[in-house]
Amino acid sequence: MTGNAVTEDRSPPRPPAGKLFSSPSRPSRLIPGLPLTLGYTLFYLSALVLIPLAGMVFKTTQLSWSEFWQTITDPIVMASFKLTFTASAIAAAVNGIFGLIVAWVLVREPFPGRRFFDALIDLPFALPTAVAGLTFSSLFLANGWIGGLGRHLADLVNWLAGLAGVGEIVSADALSWLSFPYSNTNTGIVLVLIFVGLPFVVRTVQPVLREWDTENEHAALSLGANSWTIFRRVIFPEIFPAWLSGVALAFARAIGEYGSVIFIAGNIPGKSQIAPLQIVIKLDDFRTAQATAIGIVLLFFSLLLLLGINGIEWWTRRREHRVA
Amino acid sequence: MSIEIIGVSKTFNRFKALSNVNFKVETGELVSLLGPSGCGKTTLLRVIAGMEAADPGSGPILFDGHDVTCQEVGKRRIGFVFQSYALFKHMSVFENVAFGLRAKPWRQRPREAEIRAKVGELLQLVQLQNFAQRYPSQLSGGQRQRVALARALAVEPSVLLLDEPFGALDATVRRELRRWLRKLHSKIHVTTILVTHDQEEALEVSDRVAVMNEGRIEQFASPETIYDNPANPFVFKFLGSYNLFHGRKPNGSTAVAASPSSANGVTFVRPHDVEIRRENTDGSGIAAKISHIAFAGSSVNVELARIDDQAVVDAALSMHAYKDLGLKPDDKVFIRLRNTRSFDDDYVI
Amino acid sequence: MAGAPHQNPTMGGTGKPAPPTHPLVRRVTIAVTVLFLSVFIVVPVVNVFSQALSKGFDAYASVFYAASPPEGAKLSPAERRKLSSDRSQAEKTWSSIRLTMGIAAVVVPLNIVFGLAAAWSVTKFRFKGRSLLITLIDLPFSVSPVIAGLIFVLLLGRSGVFGPWASNLTWPDPFSLHWRGFAQEWWPFAFTQSFTGIIFTPLAIALASIFVTFPFVARSLIPLMDSQGSDEEVAALSLGASGWRTFRTVTLPNVKWALLYGVILCTARVFGEFGAVSVVSGHTDANDTMPLRIEKLWNEYNNQAAFTVASLLALLAVVTLVVQVLVERKTGKAAMTEVEGVDMP
Ligand SMILES: Nc1ncnc2c1ncn2[C@@H]1O[C@H](COP(=O)(O)OP(=O)(O)OP(=O)(O)O)[C@@H](O)[C@H]1O
Ligand SMILES: [Mg+2]
Repeated sequence: MTGNAVTEDRSPPRPPAGKLFSSPSRPSRLIPGLPLTLGYTLFYLSALVLIPLAGMVFKTTQLSWSEFWQTITDPIVMASFKLTFTASAIAAAVNGIFGLIVAWVLVREPFPGRRFFDALIDLPFALPTAVAGLTFSSLFLANGWIGGLGRHLADLVNWLAGLAGVGEIVSADALSWLSFPYSNTNTGIVLVLIFVGLPFVVRTVQPVLREWDTENEHAALSLGANSWTIFRRVIFPEIFPAWLSGVALAFARAIGEYGSVIFIAGNIPGKSQIAPLQIVIKLDDFRTAQATAIGIVLLFFSLLLLLGINGIEWWTRRREHRVA
Repeated sequence: MSIEIIGVSKTFNRFKALSNVNFKVETGELVSLLGPSGCGKTTLLRVIAGMEAADPGSGPILFDGHDVTCQEVGKRRIGFVFQSYALFKHMSVFENVAFGLRAKPWRQRPREAEIRAKVGELLQLVQLQNFAQRYPSQLSGGQRQRVALARALAVEPSVLLLDEPFGALDATVRRELRRWLRKLHSKIHVTTILVTHDQEEALEVSDRVAVMNEGRIEQFASPETIYDNPANPFVFKFLGSYNLFHGRKPNGSTAVAASPSSANGVTFVRPHDVEIRRENTDGSGIAAKISHIAFAGSSVNVELARIDDQAVVDAALSMHAYKDLGLKPDDKVFIRLRNTRSFDDDYVI
Repeated sequence: MAGAPHQNPTMGGTGKPAPPTHPLVRRVTIAVTVLFLSVFIVVPVVNVFSQALSKGFDAYASVFYAASPPEGAKLSPAERRKLSSDRSQAEKTWSSIRLTMGIAAVVVPLNIVFGLAAAWSVTKFRFKGRSLLITLIDLPFSVSPVIAGLIFVLLLGRSGVFGPWASNLTWPDPFSLHWRGFAQEWWPFAFTQSFTGIIFTPLAIALASIFVTFPFVARSLIPLMDSQGSDEEVAALSLGASGWRTFRTVTLPNVKWALLYGVILCTARVFGEFGAVSVVSGHTDANDTMPLRIEKLWNEYNNQAAFTVASLLALLAVVTLVVQVLVERKTGKAAMTEVEGVDMP
């Protein structure tokens, strides 16, 4: 009786009147619109992304190797790469630490104004980079709010004293140690890059923290672990992939950042010029080949990071699968 | 409208979800597809509805003798009720039900007043006339289910396909809706295929039941036939609890007179067909010891161990019979088997 | 980017209270958070508005409308010169605003259509290379804006791949469209001006803006449409609705808030894009968008005017955030009633 479908009154299959027995064409796909939407998507993507990128690669292949190497190893270009990567790395590291704290507080520690600060996190995404650069550079100018913090504080104290009728109690320079040392413009670059990359770590870690099952912490507590051990051994491993991809995203964003940085940087060749600015300068001088060479190096690192981030996501998904 | 499926197969990247399925539903019939999870019920339903294309080269699907294999879902005049209801979240109950009418091509579209009348009528039918302006999120599961049904009925389908319509509901509501569906069907008499994995539901509601397993139809017959005359061990097992004896006849017993004698094979018997006696009057009983007694509402489940080979036998008695016998654990009793079913051993499940 | 709806803060994903943090740690971390976010976000944004208004409201307004002297007043040559320079500055600012809006009017609709098409094809179907396609859609996020500009220069610039063709292309300036009447020809409209070439014209700015902003709409739609599945669409189709009707009456209402959010993000980014636009604009006044105008004003040491233009963009950013919060509340609420209404196990 193996595999026998027993049907009552099963008549032998008979061909239906009129129609042929086998169906030559399969029914059309259930949901319509694949050819149209996919076609349009691919067209749009190729016209705007793939062809231009391919054009850039094509242009690169037209460079001779020595020309390429000369451009890249030019001291000024090298310095710009070094600045871009170190400033981005520092900014990403700062965001890694503070972003983690911010994400933790926003998810776990209620305080008045939490919602407000939570909504603010996305502001660096929304605020145009030029505006960010503008306001940061003015903030850290000698008379800006932060650049001249000491003097402003002294003014405030004296003003209050004046109201109380006491007269001047601190001299204008007494609090100058509070003023942010803005003499080194490269600090400004790092600061604005921190601003630009701030949302990435917070927004990647937050959902994981929200999903986190706090039972685990109770379990660890009951096993006698202290809070720091719990964070280090139980919670951090859980959020590590998200955190890492957040840091990588912030780093990638910082490498490519242009608008905000050129407002705040001194833009002195070999000292405070970032790599994207080098591209623009070469382009303005009509040295297209050199701009291409620098561009392709930057693009290479961006794609490498993109690959890494996708790798992290793939790894997390696989890990979840294994657990589930 | 009658539905006939001839030699339909469906493969999902090398996994055979349906293999060579044949069956025919007559006009106006209510048929259940019954089977364990993952046996291909939904797939079969979706193939019938045209939401899934059968493998190339597999046979046609005939609606009233016409091949509809190449017809689009919207043209097949089917009413499909999803397991998840799939109500339109942003539309009121009224708009949900009216959707199919409003979606008709311009020429066939009824006038607004007709739509109103029709939807009102349908809501009356599913007893939701007071809920027309509510949104799906404001309804209970059973109410959503009925909205989904009304929505499917609005386009006057010639076939109604229900995918585990009561799957997500609790037992009481299920029973209620089941009866209601039966009544509805006798009122509107539309050819209906109901997918379920609940045997009770399938047996109670349908004219005929198709028991499915691993992409095949194991048996397609009326509920009585399915229950009393299961075609193979799978069907027998699937329809309720059972005792299994190896060998054509339980060892050393002449209790199963009806079944032909043979050395190998299996014999099944339902627990309520296991009779317990204090005395072995005609010598046909099997000696057993009661190991456990569990109360299950109106009946009592008695677990016994055979004296000869220690095999476990389950019996279900009415409370009445249990009281009469006055059974206690460790009592020695005799069991007799009624209505046994034997199958050849070579059946591979 | 659009975060999940907010949950009760002290609860983990399972809704059980977390063990309390040490009070000192709690205070310190909250203080760090507030300080960090204040210094890096609140202060800079407030600074934009305060600098813009630092010379009073009249100065703010005069960036857009040069203050005209009282009727019949005698002006010294210096005053006259200042007035005319103010006027030309205001005119340049206006032209940058007009250009930016024009670019947005072209770019945003294109990106909406693309976003909808991409989200539909990626979420409703499974095909080979689907995840590659999703990665490609994200690509502009990880490419420097300068490179976004550079690739168009390399493609369409004078020495670009399509350079010879592109630099001789003549196309009409859409803003110069005017009514000519039927007197001359059968076609009553005409363009008075036209552009030659692509790079260093508004067309290049539009192209670069599209490159930088096209993922926004698609990105805000894909996760939502993925999580909603296609049950409702299949139900609509089985009721006889056409594909287009299904999309219009079933899919679109379900994603309208996410779509709105994506459109706003996209618009804000088109208005604010600097790097890519700067590379292809050629630094001429006529090709200045608002961010480029800010840069020019800043380089002219006209800080207050720079901040005034910047304040418009900052306002747009704040509006974006408000819309985001509203959308989250809206979709979060919807999701919540959805959960509450379900009484299944
Ligand atoms: N799209 C798909 N891709 C791959 N495999 C699938 C797909 N759909 C169904 N299957 C497989 O086909 C088999 C039959 O699935 P089907 O949904 O028909 O089961 P079912 O009988 O309806 O089960 P249930 O009672 O759980 O709903 C399952 O093993 C399932 O894993
Ligand atoms: Mg199913």
